[in-house]
Amino acid sequence: MAVQGIWSGTISFSLVAIPVRLVTAIRPGHISFHLLHSKDYSPLSRRMFCPKEGAMVPADEIIRGYEIVPDKYILMTDEELESVSPERSRTIEILEFIDMKEVDPIYYDHPYYLVPSKGGEKAYQLLVEVMHRTNKAGLAKFVLAEREYLVAVTSKEGALALTTLHYSDEILPDEDISPKKGKIEAEEESRMQKSIEQMIEDFDPGKYADERRKKLVALLEAKAKEKAPVEAPAVAEEEGEGPADLVAALEESMRKVKENR
Amino acid sequence: MSRTFVEMEGRRLPLSNLEKDLYPSYGFTKARILEYYRGIAPFILPHLKDRALTLKRYPEGVERDFFFEKRCPSHHPAWVKTAEVPQEGGEPMTVCMVNDLETLIWAENLASLELHVPLARTGSSQTPDSMVFDLDPGEPANILDCARVALILRDLLSRMGLVGYAKTSGQKGLHVFVPLNRKETTFEDTKTFSKAVAEIMQKHYPDLVTAKMAKQERKAKIFINWSQNDASKTMICVYSLRAREKPYVSFPLEWEELENLAGLGDPERLQVMHSEAVRRAEEKGDLFQEVLVKEQKLPHL
Repeated sequence: MAVQGIWSGTISFSLVAIPVRLVTAIRPGHISFHLLHSKDYSPLSRRMFCPKEGAMVPADEIIRGYEIVPDKYILMTDEELESVSPERSRTIEILEFIDMKEVDPIYYDHPYYLVPSKGGEKAYQLLVEVMHRTNKAGLAKFVLAEREYLVAVTSKEGALALTTLHYSDEILPDEDISPKKGKIEAEEESRMQKSIEQMIEDFDPGKYADERRKKLVALLEAKAKEKAPVEAPAVAEEEGEGPADLVAALEESMRKVKENR
Repeated sequence: MSRTFVEMEGRRLPLSNLEKDLYPSYGFTKARILEYYRGIAPFILPHLKDRALTLKRYPEGVERDFFFEKRCPSHHPAWVKTAEVPQEGGEPMTVCMVNDLETLIWAENLASLELHVPLARTGSSQTPDSMVFDLDPGEPANILDCARVALILRDLLSRMGLVGYAKTSGQKGLHVFVPLNRKETTFEDTKTFSKAVAEIMQKHYPDLVTAKMAKQERKAKIFINWSQNDASKTMICVYSLRAREKPYVSFPLEWEELENLAGLGDPERLQVMHSEAVRRAEEKGDLFQEVLVKEQKLPHL
């Protein structure tokens, strides 16, 4: 199946503007399940429950609150949230060019590809080529689904890749993680270095696969062959819920229709 | 894969596999499908305009697997009009809109034999511009029974001050569209109203009509599917081909014509095929034109 575009616009810097589409570079391997009622295989739905009233809460009674201390909230409306959301934008504006080696992989969030749109092929190719030769990555800001992302655009095997990056204040400090420095024996150090060197290989991700996923897919396929899938019952349908006025008018009209037929 | 190019409005469009027979038991190649849509374009385009297209693609023909594509294929040409539609709990989805002949031909080149569209336009996706009654026969009931129900429905709507327009589904049923074209009407309104109508019909014609979705309730009856009146649902577009053994079209019928055909007792006579569809549309004009413009208010809501 063809890759799905999730955004289209232009990538630009100084006087260059190239029409592109954003496509995801990853197909998550996660297999998800629906939750069913064991009695009759009805699919279950999630509802909001108020423990105080012991009852479900309808959508129009649900609002947002930001917890500042336990049980104390600041309320936030949809309009207020919208007022701080960035405007939707059709451009990926490159702000500066950087050396990708300087970017700690901890900043990498999600990988995408940029595909040239019609008319942009030539300029796209040129940018791919020049970025490849200079070995630089474009750092850009970009709005996707109401959020502004910091992204790195890199040249990769004849195409442009785009990686969303975490903002620096999202990265947790590591100062409490490393233990206090103690003395390291030279002999111990060289022993460990040797054992690492013995295990050095070229990185070949194809060697590894999610074994659980593979087994799960095989299991699902075997079960599908073995037995017909269970079927959810038709949703219970309520009757006679129409507004009284309307039902009365329809009854009256129906009576006349029947008289005239 | 064989390729040809067509030039339209200065746009160069590659067409592939034109000789492929997509209706093998009848014999109807992709070239003829494109020819049908080119001929019917002046009539179908106003009904597709500004609506999120769901492509139903049959790359190997009507007897093989098909797939639905709600998302606009990412390889679409830059001139295909797209819109972003919000999705429940997710990023907005890019959809295509068939607003011109080139886009129609492009979609058909993807073997999207059936064109399905929602009852609302993309700019106002929560405002249906029609209320629909999807009449679906449960065997052994057939399209003639649908016609009986449609005619009662016409009379009932008329007593309520509403005008409806009928078309074949191109499969086994009929669709009755009630144009609204008012921005105040919501899907909640159309659903409440159509459900009440379906239930009153069921109450008065219990042997002929059911308003219930459950399969066992629908046997030998006409199911009035009111639940199509929903922002998330799509209907086959008027003048679209259907993927059956023969290239039937979802085609509008005048009420008088429906009365006559119902009296003849031959279900096949209600179906309209590709060549007849273009000829009749050219002769009579778009019988569904009013559906796009007529303003009506649902009473008693």
